[in-house]
Amino acid sequence: MMIPVRCFSCGKPIAQHWEEYKERAENGESRKEILDSLGITRFCCRAMFLGHVDLIDTAAKFKKF
Amino acid sequence: MEIISLTQDKSKMNASFIIKKIDPTIANTLRRMIIEEVPTMAIEDVEIMKNNSVLYDEIIAHRLGLLPLTTDLKSYVVKSECKCEGKGCARCTLQMTLKSKNGMVYASDFKSKDPKVVPAYPKTPIVKLLKGQEIELVATAELGKGKDHIKWAPCMVWYKYKPIINITQANIKDPEAVVKVCPKGVLEVRSGKLEINQKKLMLCNLCAACADEAPNSIKLNEKDDEFVFYIESFGQLKAKEIIVTALDMLKKELSVFEEALNTMK
Ligand SMILES: [Zn+2]
Ligand SMILES: [Zn+2]
Repeated sequence: MMIPVRCFSCGKPIAQHWEEYKERAENGESRKEILDSLGITRFCCRAMFLGHVDLIDTAAKFKKF
Repeated sequence: MEIISLTQDKSKMNASFIIKKIDPTIANTLRRMIIEEVPTMAIEDVEIMKNNSVLYDEIIAHRLGLLPLTTDLKSYVVKSECKCEGKGCARCTLQMTLKSKNGMVYASDFKSKDPKVVPAYPKTPIVKLLKGQEIELVATAELGKGKDHIKWAPCMVWYKYKPIINITQANIKDPEAVVKVCPKGVLEVRSGKLEINQKKLMLCNLCAACADEAPNSIKLNEKDDEFVFYIESFGQLKAKEIIVTALDMLKKELSVFEEALNTMK
């Protein structure tokens, strides 16, 4: 849904990098280079970005119960 | 005991250093004091007035709790040790408000009464609002400790033994091949000889790939009274502040222990 505020495994705050990551990835930059330049070094935090699917725009259209 | 500083970045949030002549007990005490006893600010209670966004109240409250807040240790005390006896007053808690109607809600939209205590990463997205969706809430941040909840922990901290690499030159046939096999780039070839790149030695994680490549010439070891410490702040406090506070807390605990011993007969 939304990018988690922190990495599930190590607790490092990561959400602040999400929008930059997304924009640069859409512009065709390699994901490895983006993550390296953002200073996300551990594989746990890197996986948070690589595996994330932003669904909030889709889900927001539906009613909440 | 001897301490050698290895690196500290410009933001002073990360640091690494070597401590010599200590044993694992003391190294681990320092690590645990840092994680469990260094107080930081974090949001604990959230009162939600309005929320018709897609995220449920609980999810938003959970996201808010995980936001690192810049901490001013001088003007706050831990809630459970406060004069208000855990009721919550201006010395141990801080109210922050969030109100938004449109688009992405960021941590920077929080209005805090204390300019020293604000979200450490203003660009953290909290929730996305569509047209007609609204959010309004009051959050109460308090000073707490990592032993109560990990959201109050100030940093990632870890240590390892200092790595030792012993190279016997005679039997190495192809030094370049050994250099290539090291994932951390610790080794290099200087005038035809395999040497250690001293700047990168601390990166060695004793994976032993080099020893597999040159079985009889490279021996890996760890020095069991020298520890390489790494501190990576989550954003609430600077690395140095974290260590100094951890040591103060250790002193405090030891004096409590001493007092208890003195009352014993
Ligand atoms: Zn991580
Ligand atoms: Zn109080």
